[in-house]
Amino acid sequence: MRTNKLGFQLIAVLLTAAFVLGACAPAAPDVAKGYTGTVVKGVPQDLVAACKAEGLLTIIATPPDWANYGEIFADFQVTSGVKINSLNPNAGSADELAAIEANKSNKGPQAPDIVDVGYAYGKTGKDAGQYQAYKVSTWDKIPDTLLGLPAKDPDGFWTGGYYGVMALATNDAVVKNPPANWADLLKPDYKGQVALMGPPTTSNQAIQAIFAAALANGGSLDNAQPGLDYFKQMNDAGNYVPVVAKVGTIAQGATPIVIIWDYLAFGYNDSLKGNPSLTVSYPSPTIASMYVQAISAYAPHPNCAKLWMEILHSDEGQLAWMKGYAHGVNQADMEARGVIPADLSAKLPASSSYASAVSPSPAQLDVGKKLITEGWMATVGVEVPTPAP
Amino acid sequence: MTVLNNVERGAPKARPASPKFSWAWLGLAPFFVFAFAFLLYPSSTIVVGSFRDAKTHLFTFKNVLALLSTPYLINAYWLSVKISLVTSVGGGIFGFLLAYSAIRGGLPRFMRSSLMTFCGVASNFAGVPLAFAFIALLSPSGELTHILMALGFNPYYHGFTLYTFWGLSLVYMYFQFPLMVLIIAPAIDGLRREWLEAAENLGATSFQYWRYVALPILVPAMLGTMILLFGNAFGAYATAFALTGGQINLVTIVIGAELTGDVLGDAGLGYALALGMVVVMALAITGYTLLLRRTERWLR
Amino acid sequence: MRRGGNAWSWFWMILGILYFFLPLLATFLFSLRARLGVLSFQAYQDVFTDPDFIYNFGYSVVWGVLTIIVGILIFVPTAYLIRLRLPRFRASVEFITLLPFVIPAIVFVFGLVRTFSQPPFLIVDSPALLVAGYTVLSMPYMYRAVDTGLRSIDVRTLTEAAQSLGAGWGTILFRVILPNIRVAILSGAFLSFAIVIGELILAQYLVKPAFAPYLAYLIQQRAYEPAAMAVISFALTWAFLGIIQFVGRGGAQAQIGGGR
Repeated sequence: MRTNKLGFQLIAVLLTAAFVLGACAPAAPDVAKGYTGTVVKGVPQDLVAACKAEGLLTIIATPPDWANYGEIFADFQVTSGVKINSLNPNAGSADELAAIEANKSNKGPQAPDIVDVGYAYGKTGKDAGQYQAYKVSTWDKIPDTLLGLPAKDPDGFWTGGYYGVMALATNDAVVKNPPANWADLLKPDYKGQVALMGPPTTSNQAIQAIFAAALANGGSLDNAQPGLDYFKQMNDAGNYVPVVAKVGTIAQGATPIVIIWDYLAFGYNDSLKGNPSLTVSYPSPTIASMYVQAISAYAPHPNCAKLWMEILHSDEGQLAWMKGYAHGVNQADMEARGVIPADLSAKLPASSSYASAVSPSPAQLDVGKKLITEGWMATVGVEVPTPAP
Repeated sequence: MTVLNNVERGAPKARPASPKFSWAWLGLAPFFVFAFAFLLYPSSTIVVGSFRDAKTHLFTFKNVLALLSTPYLINAYWLSVKISLVTSVGGGIFGFLLAYSAIRGGLPRFMRSSLMTFCGVASNFAGVPLAFAFIALLSPSGELTHILMALGFNPYYHGFTLYTFWGLSLVYMYFQFPLMVLIIAPAIDGLRREWLEAAENLGATSFQYWRYVALPILVPAMLGTMILLFGNAFGAYATAFALTGGQINLVTIVIGAELTGDVLGDAGLGYALALGMVVVMALAITGYTLLLRRTERWLR
Repeated sequence: MRRGGNAWSWFWMILGILYFFLPLLATFLFSLRARLGVLSFQAYQDVFTDPDFIYNFGYSVVWGVLTIIVGILIFVPTAYLIRLRLPRFRASVEFITLLPFVIPAIVFVFGLVRTFSQPPFLIVDSPALLVAGYTVLSMPYMYRAVDTGLRSIDVRTLTEAAQSLGAGWGTILFRVILPNIRVAILSGAFLSFAIVIGELILAQYLVKPAFAPYLAYLIQQRAYEPAAMAVISFALTWAFLGIIQFVGRGGAQAQIGGGR
């Protein structure tokens, strides 16, 4: 009986705690925590007012540490005074489109206003009617083509924002002589050390890595098969580690060499602060991949979404991405106008080091993806495990 | 027992039969309503989605047919079943031994409650943190590997690697053992000391005690828990994903690939695969029920 | 016979302890390396001063306990009725309780979101859906634990004794049956609580500030803090389970030896 009373008291305390937590605590953590934002002047002021009226911006699959998005969040929040609601930072591009689809009739905070997706999803989303068209005020400054591909949709349904280049990142504490190119990765020095940032069946980064390897081994943007063969070779040599690499596994030494987007690698190097230090190098040839942004056709807060797009393509937004080591699409224009600070230019890798980067078109990506996702298990994977000895 | 039967057969019921019966139905209603609203209906997408073409939204059998005809999908099921069997049997046996040791093995009292609470936590320690813990321990740069190497023995030169089927099974045990311990504990508690003493008094050997007294009581519970372990391993996703990144092709990983991530998969196939999982589980449960009926005969 | 079996008990116990603690120890050692070259608790400092961690973990704890309560309220009467009155329903109920195992979490969550993000059941934003989802996910464990508990007590006699003393159903369930299956319910409660703390997909897609999505997010960004956080959450969850056990302890010891 004593315990029953105690039990009831405990329940009462917890229910109260639940209500208090629900009521008082921050409804959504501040995504721009730790970043200082500046008010972006070059954006249409009527948009700012309209956004203030809407009161919220919902983005999805966009962690603050990804290409320094945190600073852009901060910029948005001080410019508009509106909070950002960040959904599911770990999601992938397909998840983003799925979220738009699932929340078509939901105007609540679950429905994303804006998406940041891989290049191929620009076309996919447009064709599926999931985007609404909007051309930012600096539309003409955005190049028509970049890396041989359209950098913006002619009808304005999606806009290229930044691109990354596939690089190699090495944990200096574990690997004394970092590999510099694809052939190095097959050397016995790196036994059990090379990993991808995700499984090739689901991760865009991994697929592009294999694609890039294909380019170096007799393949082309139309033929990704040599990439699979290359990884089979690596696996047979014992160099490939099937672990999904994270900052933690790189630092711990289980995956000391990873094939990764350059902006992520530089970002990790900064956040690790030398513990351990990472060497980032560009193999040649390599692949570059653009990320595009689009406004959801069912966005509950379209004006905030439009303001967001404006900020992305303002100087402040592009500079923020560049500070995150991503390559903003407006970079050439900004260089011509001389608005890039010298210290930032000095920090960024010289563009000559990734001059060999090419980018597959959506059609080529489709074919390549299909080949890689279906061929991975057959070529490299463990299909049927050997029975117990 | 006999007294009870007499009461059942002889004495009239305390209250009339029919109101009791309707009370019982009503009593089950919350469960069924809850299950329908929050499990059955939302999961019906599995059935609907399996028979629908993801792109055209038309009715089709092709997803289910793909399941039965594509080798790598059939392999995926086989692999999943295999790892579930291995970890449920292995986990079941060791978990039982651990539970029995803590409860009836004459160990200090606090060990039992610490084990129970620890198992509560460990049973859900999975995904990246679990994979990372084992990587931190046993990878080529892991702590244990370093110690062993300092002692002159490099397990990796002897062909050991964590990133295989057996490595994954070893990691799976981390949530299988605790699950077994937690769920079998009440059954072990139900094994009364008087029975052990009675058996001893009648001169039974340890083996006879187990064979005729303890196991017949415990085996049904053990089998039931092993089915739970089987299902637990069968549905596990995050740990395999993190540790072997798609190298080991389990059904859950294939489903994840079709439904989420950066690659637009075939949702219809994903749902069909999930439906297949439900079917496999139904078969497993049927097998368990048959097995249970057979062993329950020992009890009466 | 059994007393001499102590050696074996120690053996299995020590083996178990080694298996469980070594990986945690490895994680712990890694988390101490946050500062270059020295072993320090820097990562732990960072975690404890992170308001998001405290909030998210607290959030998960609260909803974990609520899930336990909801689970007890739904499953104890159900299992009891199946055992006592309606054995015909046993197979179908057991199948239902095992479904959450088998339906991949991602499919289940997608279904939940889709069902409840449209009027008239637009509850996708409310925590109630989260609790419901958690209860469903912990159903296999909770139900099985309760069932095992009921299996090992004499439900019929207890019920009839209570009825003959004039007890109503509520009293029978919550003052006669429940205390007797306390051990079983506790183990079910442990599992439910731990599921809620560790549950990632539901919380992620329902966009609730729970602990597991926060940890997953950090794992993408940081090396040492997630390891520290994993150790801390393990220790804290263990502590919470200890508290739950203490609260529920009341009748457990008494009834094991009790006259049955």
